[in-house]
Amino acid sequence: MMPHEKAKLVLQDVGHSWLGRTVFEGFDLVLRPGEVVALVGPSGCGKTTILQIAAGLVEPLRGRVYRNYRRHAVVFQEPRLLPWLTTRDNIAYGLKVSGCAASRRHAIAAARALEVGLDPEDLTKYPVELSGGMRQRAAVARALAVEPDVVFFDEPFTAVDVGLRRVLQDLVIAAAARAHFSALFVTHDLAEAVRVAHRLIVLSAIDGRVVDQRIIAGEPGTRDNRAIFDIVESWSHEAVFAELFDADRRVSA
Amino acid sequence: MTVSSPSEGGGVPASRPDAPGRLASAGRMLVDAAEWFGRYIWSGWVGLAGLLCLAAAWQAGHEIYGSFILPAPLETIQVLLGLLQGPELARAASETAWRALTGFLLAAGIGTLAGAIAGYSFAAMRIMRPIVTVILGVPPIAWIVLALIWFGSSGGAAVLTVVLASFPISFAGALEGVATRDRALDAMARSFGASALTRFRSVTLPHLLSYLFPAWTTTIGSAWKVTVMAELLSNSGGIGGELATARALFDIPLVMAWIVLVVAFALISEYGVLNPIREMTERWRSAGLPWGVKR
Repeated sequence: MMPHEKAKLVLQDVGHSWLGRTVFEGFDLVLRPGEVVALVGPSGCGKTTILQIAAGLVEPLRGRVYRNYRRHAVVFQEPRLLPWLTTRDNIAYGLKVSGCAASRRHAIAAARALEVGLDPEDLTKYPVELSGGMRQRAAVARALAVEPDVVFFDEPFTAVDVGLRRVLQDLVIAAAARAHFSALFVTHDLAEAVRVAHRLIVLSAIDGRVVDQRIIAGEPGTRDNRAIFDIVESWSHEAVFAELFDADRRVSA
Repeated sequence: MTVSSPSEGGGVPASRPDAPGRLASAGRMLVDAAEWFGRYIWSGWVGLAGLLCLAAAWQAGHEIYGSFILPAPLETIQVLLGLLQGPELARAASETAWRALTGFLLAAGIGTLAGAIAGYSFAAMRIMRPIVTVILGVPPIAWIVLALIWFGSSGGAAVLTVVLASFPISFAGALEGVATRDRALDAMARSFGASALTRFRSVTLPHLLSYLFPAWTTTIGSAWKVTVMAELLSNSGGIGGELATARALFDIPLVMAWIVLVVAFALISEYGVLNPIREMTERWRSAGLPWGVKR
């Protein structure tokens, strides 16, 4: 029984602890169709754990998770490509798992590879032959290839350089607008959150509780650099975001 | 606390590839296989050069110490060719081969299975490790004595000795391979809803193989050696039995010929069987090498 009829994903009063140490308690989340929610917070606040619980990779110790969709995909912080498969087979991995025929999944993989900016000749290469940015593009293509209803992004672009990060963010925004999937986007970069998301949830490092939730004005993709910069600049002076920018304060707390 | 799983089903409809496309891809695979085979044979020249260096050293030893201590390589080969005419070589070789291969298959099978279980289960590892250490600690020669008492002068003694002497190698390889599997990749596969079997096949097994092949190579090598040793001591025929006879006759070229034969078997099983399989399954590894994948 879903508490919210139209929601794709609902987390209700979820709490978790690792080895007896409580990370967060009483976390609620409602993910609506086509909505991108950014989860920001300093490292160690439990945002990755929340994502893993939402994606079904970790069983929560407390609370309920309701899912109302056919399939999801996860883009991890690292590409997590299988080193023994070519780029084509890596992108098609999720399709293969769900029993899609070889010729069809290869065709889909080739199409997705082009969308994320890979060259056709990259398809026969192994992950070691690709650059770090290319690998992360392949990981994004692999997630999009299964036509997910919900995508979980776990700080996906932390390891790529600033320029490429912009390209990959735009790619995610465009894909979300086109395929109309819902997404939970975990990041510690406020500018990234403001760029890609409809809504923002801020977690505290101290006890993992939600410090603030706010709607970001305008649709993702329509905000220009100036607007994003202004939002980040004005928010960074507020107390709720202080932890994100102030490492000293986090340590003393 | 309950967690509802994403509703299954609704997969992408399966479509069959068209016949000409299949034929073309089969043809391409055949060409690739032939190309690979040619390259593998060609790379054998380097190995042959190494073996000929060894033969040169052998020849030098022969010239220093004379025929009685060390017969010349050519003389040995001639004796071996002479043996090929008679019936005893085929009989002895097939006996030894059967024992060594049975022992290898049992040792590799049991060792790999037990090692994989130990790799997955910490409790099983804690229980099995000391057992394997004890078995490894008993010298093979002691196993032969025990096996002789249990089996008498039959092939069973040789097979048992091979299994006990060499399964710990496969055990250790499988244990290490499974224990060092990449859990991050496993989580990735789980995020796509892959079953435990699919995850084992696509994530754990390819990683495991890189630990298993060296272990299996060592196992097959020691299988030949231990078989011959057990045959010699238990007087149960095979190449070991022939070696014992040749030694009793002080026929040194004959002793060398049998030794060469065993070494040839060991070379064939490693370079003719295990290595080609390894190359086929681990093609991706050469992608990381400076010269890249040879396509």
